[in-house]
Amino acid sequence: MADASIEFKGSSFTLSVLHLKTSVLADIRADLTHKVAQAPDFFYRVPVVVNVEKINDSINYQGIKTLIEEFDFTFVGFTGVIAKAQRQLIRDLGYSFVNTAKANTATKAKMSKEAVVAKTESVAVTTQRHLYTDKIHRGPVRSGQQVYAKEQNLVIIGSVSAGAEVIADGNIHVYGSLRGRAIAGATGHHSAQIYCQNLQAELVSINGNYWLSESMEQHWDSPVYIHLTDNELTSSKLI
Amino acid sequence: MARIIVVTSGKGGVGKTTSSAAIGLGLALKGHKVVLIDFDIGLRNLDLIMGCERRVVYDFVNVINGEATLNQALIKDKRVSSLSILPASQTRDKDALNKENVGKVLDDLGKLYDFIICDSPAGIEAGAMMALYYADEAIVTTNPEVSSVRDSDRILGMLASRSRRAELGLEPIKEHLLLTRYCPKRVAEGEMLSVEDVEDILSIPLLGVIPESQSVLKASNAGEPVILDTDSDAGQAYQDVIDRLLGETIEFRFLLAEKKGIFSRMFGG
Ligand SMILES: Nc1ncnc2c1ncn2[C@@H]1O[C@H](COP(=O)(O)OP(=O)(O)O)[C@@H](O)[C@H]1O
Ligand SMILES: [Mg+2]
Repeated sequence: MADASIEFKGSSFTLSVLHLKTSVLADIRADLTHKVAQAPDFFYRVPVVVNVEKINDSINYQGIKTLIEEFDFTFVGFTGVIAKAQRQLIRDLGYSFVNTAKANTATKAKMSKEAVVAKTESVAVTTQRHLYTDKIHRGPVRSGQQVYAKEQNLVIIGSVSAGAEVIADGNIHVYGSLRGRAIAGATGHHSAQIYCQNLQAELVSINGNYWLSESMEQHWDSPVYIHLTDNELTSSKLI
Repeated sequence: MARIIVVTSGKGGVGKTTSSAAIGLGLALKGHKVVLIDFDIGLRNLDLIMGCERRVVYDFVNVINGEATLNQALIKDKRVSSLSILPASQTRDKDALNKENVGKVLDDLGKLYDFIICDSPAGIEAGAMMALYYADEAIVTTNPEVSSVRDSDRILGMLASRSRRAELGLEPIKEHLLLTRYCPKRVAEGEMLSVEDVEDILSIPLLGVIPESQSVLKASNAGEPVILDTDSDAGQAYQDVIDRLLGETIEFRFLLAEKKGIFSRMFGG
């Protein structure tokens, strides 16, 4: 067989996205210097995608790439919701245009995008205090339903069904079984946690780091909380 | 005030029409005034199960469109005079119904009947939404298998968010779980979910467990709802459902693989 030694497969990765608010290279350099100085090891050789959708004036793509590499990032490509012609221009210049994962809901797209932004900021964020209030949902969250606690913690008094999705910028507490998807720290909150009385989730995610069911074997079907240590999800038994 | 009860499920072929027919007839046999409405426009199944398919002249869509009066379209059951059937149209499509006119028809029926039983089409599209929109209660018909339970869960979400009661912020629809085509032997062998499994996932009160039974097919073919077959397990299980709907507390039966004889049941075996 011709392809006995190799195989191409699609796979999703969490990438850091650098959102540019200006195309002035000097300003970008100044801010990057400041940011990287906070955690040089953390950023070293981190693959980075540059989001250019917020920039209206003409963009020096080559300049941006060179600048990114100057800081020892591994440059992957550009991204953003931009016109077709601009995407073509990027490709014509020889760079990759990276599409965000095709998510079936807007939130999913938001999750993957925002979560990665947050990641570049997570070092700073951990020292920040989040004083979130609670959004309380009484009763089950059924398949096909979604509950989002924007800038709040989310408390579910009931179970989260398979096919349902609960999202919070803060922590998520499920006083029932978690069978659907739970996304905590959705807009970047490294110390967000997920608590549930019974873990049977399809997916849990904190600050863009996620587990599918297969990674939850250790504490499957038991009361647990899930948190991040460094950038790894960890689960611990609640009782 | 009439109790508007939707028999719904999400998934098709789980036993909604069988259950609507049995429950409608069962309530009428207890002396209540009952109307059965077939919301499954385009399929028209309920009149077959009820054995009145040859008497359909006008249908639900004719009434909605003002082409016939309710009186012209309602078919009186030949067995029980307090039961009527409002058949679906076989020639129109699902979009033939609209909320406003369905509401008017239900209002009119509410003045004449104690129970309005709405047999829902499958799915979560317009037709199913129409059937559940005005409901006061829902009989969520579920088979003991994962996909059916998932669809029922989905429908429960719709009941809680897309019904008239939800939209107006009224007291929520009263939910009942009806497990149908239950086969204790296959549960014991681990091929089917158990009553407890389904209750655990859906967490709504159990109204009844109807065993998988040959008598259902026989009843359908004969146009005699299975509740009339008082010797059959399914007929008896539906009878229990009627009693529970009317507020009685009845123990669940037909949950175990070995069938108990009538005597051991009577004498507390
Ligand atoms: N308890 C039961 N035992 C055996 N067969 C059943 C039972 N309930 C329903 N069925 C069969 O399942 C099929 C679908 O039932 P039906 O009531 O038409 O479902 P739905 O209205 O949900 O589509 C029919 O062939 C019916 O005879
Ligand atoms: Mg049907």
